[in-house]
Amino acid sequence: MEGILAIWQRDITKFFRDKARLFGSFTMPILFLLIFGGGMSGTMESMMAGQLPEGGSDFNYIEFVFPGIVAMTLLMTSVFSALSIIEDKDFGYMKEILVSPVSRVSIAVGKMFGAATIATIQGIMLFALIPLLGLSYDFMSILQVIPFMFLLACALSGLGLLFASVIRSTQGFQMIVNILVLPMVFLSGALFPINNLPTWMEAVVTVNPVTYGVHVMKNVMVDVENTPTQIVEAMGLNLTVFNQEVTVLGAVLFIAGFTLVLILLATQSFKRANA
Amino acid sequence: MAAMIEVQDLKKSYKETEAVKGISFEVEEGEIFGFLGPNGAGKSTTINMICTMLKPTSGSIVINGFNANKEKNDVRASIGLIFQENTLDEKLTANENLKLHCRFYNVPKNDRERRIQEVLHIVDLNDVRYKKVETFSGGMQRRLEIARGLLHYPRVLFLDEPTVGLDPQTRAHLWEYILKLKKEQGITMFLTTHYLDEAEISDRIAIMDQGGIIAVDSPEELKRQLGGDIIELSTSDNAQAEAEVQALLGESDEFTINDELIRLQVENSDAFISELIEALSVTITKLNIRKPTLNDVFLAFTGRDIGEATGT
Ligand SMILES: Nc1ncnc2c1ncn2[C@@H]1O[C@H](COP(=O)(O)OP(=O)(O)O)[C@@H](O)[C@H]1O
Ligand SMILES: [Mg+2]
Repeated sequence: MEGILAIWQRDITKFFRDKARLFGSFTMPILFLLIFGGGMSGTMESMMAGQLPEGGSDFNYIEFVFPGIVAMTLLMTSVFSALSIIEDKDFGYMKEILVSPVSRVSIAVGKMFGAATIATIQGIMLFALIPLLGLSYDFMSILQVIPFMFLLACALSGLGLLFASVIRSTQGFQMIVNILVLPMVFLSGALFPINNLPTWMEAVVTVNPVTYGVHVMKNVMVDVENTPTQIVEAMGLNLTVFNQEVTVLGAVLFIAGFTLVLILLATQSFKRANA
Repeated sequence: MAAMIEVQDLKKSYKETEAVKGISFEVEEGEIFGFLGPNGAGKSTTINMICTMLKPTSGSIVINGFNANKEKNDVRASIGLIFQENTLDEKLTANENLKLHCRFYNVPKNDRERRIQEVLHIVDLNDVRYKKVETFSGGMQRRLEIARGLLHYPRVLFLDEPTVGLDPQTRAHLWEYILKLKKEQGITMFLTTHYLDEAEISDRIAIMDQGGIIAVDSPEELKRQLGGDIIELSTSDNAQAEAEVQALLGESDEFTINDELIRLQVENSDAFISELIEALSVTITKLNIRKPTLNDVFLAFTGRDIGEATGT
């Protein structure tokens, strides 16, 4: 337990000490929000207004895309924070950790929690922009979504750990992550609805953990009950997998299971690691 | 005395190289045990296997009573390891590096402050406790690593080439600290080096070359076995001198000639030297009498100079 805490705290301390990284990490999500939110909202809104017989003018795209952008930020930061593992290997510190009696599970969990905490902090930073964007989410739903953001970030950091354990170089890691992250964002429903996709894309959507993350985030934050059914359908707030409607609980369980599997895989890789 | 480390027929093969070729040895409690050998001899590979960082191809390792292959965490808790390369977190302060180590090794909370002060005192780094490690010189970083390795009171401290890359003065200081540690803490120490003078501080040395151990003994004994003092001389006519030296020594004694230097070894040089000067009809241009060094030992066993073997 102490080992997990120590590894976690080290990564957090280093994150706050690295001023350039801190600055970059707070500007990146804001840029996403401006580009996707601001840039695309006009198009999306006029499209929706044409589809909806009445009440279409009430439709606010940013309200739908905002949870998606938070999820996307979590994905980027979680996966990239796992880069700290490769850095630790390069700078030798990983040996200090590996030669210590800290259990290999604790190393995996400590690293995962470190990356996930940093990602969650960034996600929460975005909430500060809610009033500026003229959005209004229920305060309770925001409080509810934060623990889930941490869980989702754990799952995605676990993915990063897995990449970091098989890839040796920083450049290689960045390349693989860049290749994988964009499809994971686009095929998750984070930025635009994922209805009527070709079958093979549908398959990617189904196994993509971000899909379930976005699903939970949107359903918790957006007031689905008081939203016209056409909008719910058009914006993909109803996720179906194998002809089954995915519930919020189901999606949370999927993410939790995914996280557990990744912890096990990461533990194995630390067991095999020779410094 | 009980053996702290027992290694039996230990082997490690990489794809093409057989880095360690079935070595066996014991390290006793409280001694300084040195691994001496040129670069690439397999010293680091052996240390990393003993410290659970590398899986042996075959063979058994027992350390502090624990099997290094099965009881990894018990072994890890029993040892301190100073790696050949830097493993400090340079972005953190010395204090933070030490605190983290206490937590990794479950040092009791109420004892941490005392131990941190204690180890910093041993290596004279109290003044820079709250400075970032990246501002430290190479020697200071090395000392901090040693301090960190002592925090959890290991039964054995491993030092893999602890002085590589340090200037001679810092090297000398570091060895002072290491000897002080042995005297004050009675820790068993296992060190590797390819510097001959450094190996001298060991109670016993294993000479390693090309993956095998070729001799294990105390430095004094190893040198004594070589058979006496070494005399090197060169003269105005080495061919003539050679014949005269041969006559003086008799058939059985060996001597070598290289680079116009006659090199011979005698039991008691004090008595022999006057006989030698008397026996020589040619003018002596150079004369050097010395005790054998570990380099002579290495030379005798491998036929190579350790400096040549290392390529330095
Ligand atoms: N990871 C590795 N893969 C392949 N060969 C290795 C590896 N590590 C070491 N070796 C080889 O094993 C031999 C012993 O290396 P090492 O134990 O580092 O020697 P030393 O520490 O005595 O200088 C060398 O020939 C080296 O090239
Ligand atoms: Mg080495």
